[in-house]
Amino acid sequence: MYIVGAGRTKFGELDTSLEGLAYDAISKAIDDSNVSVRDIEAIYVSNFLGGPVNGQLHLNSMISSLIPGCNIPIVRVETACASSSSAMNQAIIALSKFSNILVLGVEKLSGPSLIPQIDAIAMAENRTIEKENGLIFPAAYALIAQQYFKKYGISHEVLEQISYINHQNANRNPLAHFFQKNVTLDMIRSSRMISTPLNLFDCSPMSDGAVAMVITDKKKTDRDVKILSSQIATDTISIPERKDLTTFKATKIAAQKAYREAGLTPKKIDLFEVHDCFTIGELIALEDLGLCECGSACHLVEDGRISIEGDFPVNTDGGLKANGHPIGATGLAQIYEIVTQIRGEADQRQVVDADYGLAQNIGGIGGTCGITILGCL
Amino acid sequence: MYRCTSCDKTWTHSVKKCIFCGGGILCEVPGTMRIIGFTEVFIPSVNNEKVPYFVLLLEDGSGNRCLKKTFEKYSIGDSFDPHEEKSRSPIFGVVGTGLLGLQICEFLITKGYGTVLKTRDGHSIHKTLSKMEDKLSRNNSPDAVTGILKKISITTSFSDLSDCDFVIEAAPENIGVKEEIFRAMSRICDKKTIFSTNSSSLSIDQLAEVTDRPDRFIGIHFFNPVKRMDLVEVVVGEKTSQVTKNRVISELVEMGKNPIVVKDSPGYVVNRLLLPQINEAINLLEEGVATKEDIDNAVKLGLHHPMGPFQLADYIGLDICLSILEVLYSKNKTGGKKPAALLYQLCRDGKFGIKTKEGFYKY
Repeated sequence: MYIVGAGRTKFGELDTSLEGLAYDAISKAIDDSNVSVRDIEAIYVSNFLGGPVNGQLHLNSMISSLIPGCNIPIVRVETACASSSSAMNQAIIALSKFSNILVLGVEKLSGPSLIPQIDAIAMAENRTIEKENGLIFPAAYALIAQQYFKKYGISHEVLEQISYINHQNANRNPLAHFFQKNVTLDMIRSSRMISTPLNLFDCSPMSDGAVAMVITDKKKTDRDVKILSSQIATDTISIPERKDLTTFKATKIAAQKAYREAGLTPKKIDLFEVHDCFTIGELIALEDLGLCECGSACHLVEDGRISIEGDFPVNTDGGLKANGHPIGATGLAQIYEIVTQIRGEADQRQVVDADYGLAQNIGGIGGTCGITILGCL
Repeated sequence: MYRCTSCDKTWTHSVKKCIFCGGGILCEVPGTMRIIGFTEVFIPSVNNEKVPYFVLLLEDGSGNRCLKKTFEKYSIGDSFDPHEEKSRSPIFGVVGTGLLGLQICEFLITKGYGTVLKTRDGHSIHKTLSKMEDKLSRNNSPDAVTGILKKISITTSFSDLSDCDFVIEAAPENIGVKEEIFRAMSRICDKKTIFSTNSSSLSIDQLAEVTDRPDRFIGIHFFNPVKRMDLVEVVVGEKTSQVTKNRVISELVEMGKNPIVVKDSPGYVVNRLLLPQINEAINLLEEGVATKEDIDNAVKLGLHHPMGPFQLADYIGLDICLSILEVLYSKNKTGGKKPAALLYQLCRDGKFGIKTKEGFYKY
């Protein structure tokens, strides 16, 4: 199974509509592949908040309007922020039936909204246990950070460095939400408090954007990238239902299965895209993915090992923090970066000899995790 | 927390039978909990408009965990008894089961305050309760409604108000009726109880005189609909103490309202501005300057008010509009304008607006 075409829009607060974003990404992915749109046999579309924010559901039919006359099966997949890695996972399974499938992730968050965006995003949490107690998304990750700091005796400083590295990487990615934003450690440190201990620069932005991929069952050109594994694991939706908040069980389980299926160990992987919707998420991901022991991820950050030039390059596109977080497209954006790196087309942010890459995409507060491993075979 | 008695699986949702082993389920009531984590949240969201607030992560002796929102600061390791915290909240009394009385009562119980509702008519208690249950069911799950309704007790006897921290009187806008209520409460209520009136135009100082506690007497003027209107006029009389004023304001802020402080003056701020406008709109109609529909449109589209003056007057009730206008006319030092003749006529005909199905418009 191969990714034979990849396309994405710029991320950010854009003037483009949901349909416009979707069309843009689809046409770029088709142009990038040597598959005609007429040869696409099915589409898996990922989107999180079309209903509560845009007032638009029945997205599969809306996508059908963008390719008039095709009348192919189209299905929407929603698993909160992990929607697009889940859509990819479902599309891969469907390759047993179809030869050419398009996977699309799209999200339009800026502009008029049926209900406030922060409340819409909180729909990824348990509607009674968390929402009734004011545990909005940043607060949930703040509780996780607080538990992590307490357990391992570390300070906020390491999160500031993660934020800084991601902004540095985004400055080498022209399609990133915060491309060419001059961010200093001082700005990060003194930004306003959101939910203790997390401040503004610990949080990813709400972005508009879309990403599309064409996947096939056969290799067609040398630019095609092999899908080595795609795994999904889940966990309880709500924080009080878990005993340990300093690790995400869903990540660990999905990653173990994916490493086994791909026949790889973390050391063999050349770059990682991890789900840093909040900086603490990146720190925990490094441990859950087996890059280091529990409680020691801060050393990977401090020793410069996760930078583009390090031995474990992480979030080379800027991550959710600075590349952006168009929720239903985020997982595919991570996969897009790995495809670009393995093809050797990442220009200024190219990782040397990038042969294998792993993407970790989280839904909610670790309630869903999608792991995708790609390679250049 | 629901636990399977044979295989030990746990759920936070109510389940009847274990799906793994078929075992029976035991509902565990958490004991005293310890704070194992917290975050202070600075971003407002729906139902969490007032910031900052804290979210506590709690754990009891058997490892059951839960979350709790609070405005008080705690430290990790502190023990926390959810039942104790509830009893710290002040208890309110509401006198009167008219439109505003019921709305205030409903608002207080949804905010978690224990509330004693005093009514004159013992036969209507059941009807009042089921009406309130209907309204609450629109926005809350059945479990939540049951929880909210536990906060209310309805009584016909003033003596049940004796232990309240605050009593809000929301009886008809009639000075004699209100004076009688405050005399009765003065005989019964504890010294700590702060008396307040929801009157929209009557003199606070005059009402305070009949009580045994003019220093603990204040006006708390809510607006209709109470749930949605954030403004509260806190009316400070000549003898209202600073302590009383501060307590009332901080409690109103706590429940998510935006209080403003006004001196005892006819119509306070909002009605003094609003009612002359309604009166002037009726004068315009009487003079034939424009139709009522066009005047309503003028105010909505030209002044960007959500409702026109005739729609609003029908919503408030024309009898209430007239009584406020009469107070403004007779008590206003700068000399208010006489209420319009058409308003007198509609009230004489019993056309009070929406509540009688006809006012300026038919409903």
